[in-house]
Amino acid sequence: MSTIELIDLTKHYRQGKDVVRALDGVSLQIHSGEFLSIVGRSGSGKTTLLDLLGLLLRPSSGTVRIDGADTTRLRDGQRADVRGRQIGFIFQEYNLLPALNVIENVLLPLRYAKSTVKDGRARALQLLEMVGLSDRLRHRPDELSGGQQQRVAIARALIHRPALVLADEPTGSVDTQTSEDLLALMRRLNHEEGVTFVIVTHDLDLAAQTDRTVHLKDGRVVSDQAVERAPLASTSQHEEKE
Amino acid sequence: MIEIIRNLARRKLRSTLTISGIVIGIFALTTMGALAAHFNQQLDVGVQYYGSNIQVGAPAGQQIPLLPLAKMDQIRAVEGVEAVFPTYSLLVNPGASFSFGGPAATIVNWIPEQVARMQPKTNIAQGHDVSPDTGGEVVLGTTLASTLKKRIGDTVDLPVKPADASRDFVSHPFTVVGILNPTGTAPDGFAYVSTADARLLFADTLPPAIQSSSELRQIAPGFTVYGKAGASLSQLDAIANRINAQVSGVKATKPSIAVNGYKQFVAIFTAITTGAAILALLIGGLSVINTMVMAVSERVREIGLKKALGAHTSHILREYLLEAALIGLISGVIGYLLGVGLTSLINAGSASGLQLFSITPTLTVETIGFAVVLSALAGVLPALRAARLDPVTALRTTN
Repeated sequence: MSTIELIDLTKHYRQGKDVVRALDGVSLQIHSGEFLSIVGRSGSGKTTLLDLLGLLLRPSSGTVRIDGADTTRLRDGQRADVRGRQIGFIFQEYNLLPALNVIENVLLPLRYAKSTVKDGRARALQLLEMVGLSDRLRHRPDELSGGQQQRVAIARALIHRPALVLADEPTGSVDTQTSEDLLALMRRLNHEEGVTFVIVTHDLDLAAQTDRTVHLKDGRVVSDQAVERAPLASTSQHEEKE
Repeated sequence: MIEIIRNLARRKLRSTLTISGIVIGIFALTTMGALAAHFNQQLDVGVQYYGSNIQVGAPAGQQIPLLPLAKMDQIRAVEGVEAVFPTYSLLVNPGASFSFGGPAATIVNWIPEQVARMQPKTNIAQGHDVSPDTGGEVVLGTTLASTLKKRIGDTVDLPVKPADASRDFVSHPFTVVGILNPTGTAPDGFAYVSTADARLLFADTLPPAIQSSSELRQIAPGFTVYGKAGASLSQLDAIANRINAQVSGVKATKPSIAVNGYKQFVAIFTAITTGAAILALLIGGLSVINTMVMAVSERVREIGLKKALGAHTSHILREYLLEAALIGLISGVIGYLLGVGLTSLINAGSASGLQLFSITPTLTVETIGFAVVLSALAGVLPALRAARLDPVTALRTTN
């Protein structure tokens, strides 16, 4: 059960003489198993927040606690180890390695992680089955559609059984139908694997299908509320549970 | 490893350009290095050759530079002298006193006991040595044999008649009976004839009044003196000094003077080729560094991704080190082989039989090693820089 706490997090950049306050005092608690979206206009600080959550950036001040442990003081290598054990990433542009085929891309995090995952290959096959790509194991990324590539990236994000998956505009480069399919897939994995999903998006329709939406504006949280489930969304959720 | 090879195969143009850049550098390095190695080698054996004996001639100012053979007994009595031989030598091509890259082709008398003492070791590679009695036989050095395009059994007129020879120019037919092993120095350009024949050829060069002199058999233009085997240059210099002090009417040249003269002669070539090799090293090195830096800089985003997925800086370094070293190895071997191909072609195609390039084992190790080490360094430095970036900065880099 990992809870993530953000305590008064700020991130300031120097841009010439000006200081840009990308994040300006954000406090949040994210509980294990949540399916959460972060929305806001571009420049609102949502990607910065995601980078801080993923220990890709260091905050200017404030703390990120994972299971009560302060990550601020960790050295770069230790932060890499935390990422390699506990965090999965999904990017807008998929970021698959073109030289590797589907299953090799999925297995990539295990190359670096001091992982406890024993049979990585079996796990990869299971995940690729779940994302519907069992018949594409030896394909290269450039032989796949955008939606398929993102499915590979989703499988890659889960290979090491992370506690938290961070998705940055995961549906930003695909059409509406594919976008809905991908979201449904993430939702299913959230249920079946019990993994926390934090999805950054500017797509309010997509955000409406998550359980909780945090709205950022100018680096501050302006609203943080549970999504009132529309009847259609709850029906589909119900179907999936069966 | 598979990832590296696929990366190379995937970006064919990029890989071809990268490898070509390094290949050109290593190719230049191999050819220039082979040229420098050749002159260094020639310098070494030349120093060995000129430093192995003492040349004795007539003192400066003597009207006719000839020595009575009787002086040989006096020289033999000098402390440290082991052997003395009369030496008759004249140019194969009269008038041509200079030859590129080495001493001029020379007709010399063959004395088996003397040849046995020569450094570097000089042996008959094909055929047999000249018989002292038969006459009209010649053993050729390798370079001279290919310059004259003569093989065993062929006939050669010596000295070679120059294009502008006067009507009374005299040459004699000789049958090639042997070819020497390559020594890398003077004997490669020698034509060895019997002492009697050499004396006759030498006599042809003298004024007619002396030619007919009945004492011709009792004189020589010079002697070659040997100390005990393995005598040092300074020991031979000391012997030369003693000969000058104890034997009148002769002038022994200290071998150190001959060696220094030879060094000066070769030094200019060595300087030019070494300079060219260093230039090739710099240009080749920069070409290697440039191509590797460019190739890695294109992949900052990939490095950022790997870091986001949990890779440490050391993981990144290891991967890129291996890849860059492999590229260096492939390119180095190709560049080296091209260099070997070109230099062998030039060596084989040389009309004069002049060997200008030497591919030595040291050169092989140095050029390929240079390609590998420099590529690895040039690949790792930008990878290290990229690996030290915030993963976020690296990830958001647009290539």
